[in-house]
Formats: sequence, structure tokens, C-alpha cells
Amino acid sequence: MKNIEELKMMREKVRQDLRLRSGQHRVRIVVGMGSCGIAAGAREVMNEFVTLVENSKKEDIVVTASGCFGFCAQEPMIHIYVEDQRPVTYRNVDIEAARLIFNEHVLNNKVVEQYLFSKGKK
Amino acid sequence: MKDLADHLFDIIENSVNAGADEVIVKIAYTESYFFCFISDNGKGISGQEVLDPFVTSRTTRRVGLGLPLLKRTAEDTGGYLKIKRIDESGGTALQFKMYLTHIDAKPVGDLARTFSDIFFAWPEVTVRLFVIRDGIERLILDFQKLRDEIEQGLKNYTNIRKHIHEVSHKDFKDINII
Repeated sequence: MKNIEELKMMREKVRQDLRLRSGQHRVRIVVGMGSCGIAAGAREVMNEFVTLVENSKKEDIVVTASGCFGFCAQEPMIHIYVEDQRPVTYRNVDIEAARLIFNEHVLNNKVVEQYLFSKGKK
Repeated sequence: MKDLADHLFDIIENSVNAGADEVIVKIAYTESYFFCFISDNGKGISGQEVLDPFVTSRTTRRVGLGLPLLKRTAEDTGGYLKIKRIDESGGTALQFKMYLTHIDAKPVGDLARTFSDIFFAWPEVTVRLFVIRDGIERLILDFQKLRDEIEQGLKNYTNIRKHIHEVSHKDFKDINII
């Protein structure tokens, strides 16, 4: 029989495992959420991605946030990490751009040149 | 920042960036003012220089505007912003007050959405939201509890946004002057 403390420790372990595994999503959409991003509307963009993921019913896509990374004038910026591919950064992403990028890039692996900022190293 | 909800999100982003995994938010408001206290267990600040936009520890850019902007937003209405290091834990505590009836006051915005956004942006951070009314503090949102309920299957991750909205709208509906 285990006591409450042991159970809590077990739960914590399971939780950490889950967290580690959460790094294994096929696609990670990272929205820049520095002061600059927020002021430029990054919250709306993140919400749109969350809704798009929900509606797509795909469970291998995760939306998360990062801080500012120095190109404030081009916010809202997002990074898309697709497993085994070079990460791609987009700039000036609004709701419409978010939908386009989700449909083209996230679901169909096609880079959307119109909003492209840079491609990273693998 | 177009409204207070944006500012609040930004300030909590500061906490996350400072390595905090626990943030306590306490809000008190009437028709005439909005008061907010935030404390975290992040790495803390060394002094008041965080209120100077040209002092920043980051390397990505040389100015930091989040706090100075909020200070200005509060002071423009006759309010204030104070920030200090919590000596015992090393975290940071700040509080600000703004007068909503002042002509220069920014709209409050959708506070409920601020909290659902935080939950999605940083799911591993525990935010506890209290509303103070008539001198009584009431816990209305506890992210740890929400995560537990998701793990136990009591709540669905995809519905959590709606749940946070419902819970916090009850308390914020009077001030959602968008």
C-alpha cells in the first residue's frame, strides 16, 4: 500500500514523462510573445492557431509561445518546427496568414513564401 | 498595448522569461479603479532599473518596454506601478493601480482571454488568480488544479479555453469594457 506522498511522487514522475513526450509532436507552432509580439496582435494569432488545431482534430500538433527574438518590427512572428525538416520562421502573421500557413505548411508541408522570414538549419 | 488585458499578459510573460513556474495574480476592482498584484518565483530583479527602457538583460535587443509601458499606462490615469524583489524567495512582486474613469484610461479588454492565452502559451506554468472583493480574497482559477483535472480525464484539453472563459467571465463581466 502506498501513502499519499508516494502517490504524489508517482504522479509527478508521470507528469514529467508526459512533458518530455510532449517534445515529440510532429509539428510545433511557436508564436513570439514578447511585448512587441503582444502589441502587434500575437495573442489573436495564437488563438487562431489553437482553434485551427482543434478543428483539424490532429493530436500531433502543438501550439506554444516564445519570447521576443529581436525583430520586433516584423511581429507577429511565428516559427514552425516540422519533424525532420528545417524550421521556418514567418513574419507579419495575422489571422489570415495564420490560416494560410496552417493549411499550406502545417498540413501540406508547403512553405508560404508570402510571409516567409527565414529558414533555419535542420 | 491596446488594453489592460494585453499588459497583463505581457507582465506574466516577464515572469515566465525570468524562469518562474508559479505566478500569483490578485485583482481588485470597482467601477472607478483597477488594482492588480502579481508575484512570481522567478529569478527576481536587482533594482528599479527594470523601469528604464534602456536597461535590459536580454541579448536579442537593447530596449525593454513592457514594464515602462505599463507604468505609463497606470500613471497616465493618476495611478502607479511599484515593483520589488521578494527578499525571502528571490522572486518579483509588482502592483499597479489605474483609474478607469480617467479620460486617458485604456480599455480593460478581455481579461478572461488573457488567462486562457497564458494557459496555452505556457502550460507548465502554474498561475493562481484571486479576485479581492469587500476585503475577501477568492481563488477563482488554479492552473495546477486544471492540469490535474485534465490528467484525470475530468476535463478535456480542447474545452479548457471555454472553461477558463466561463469561470473568469463570472468575475470579470462587470468590467469587460472593451
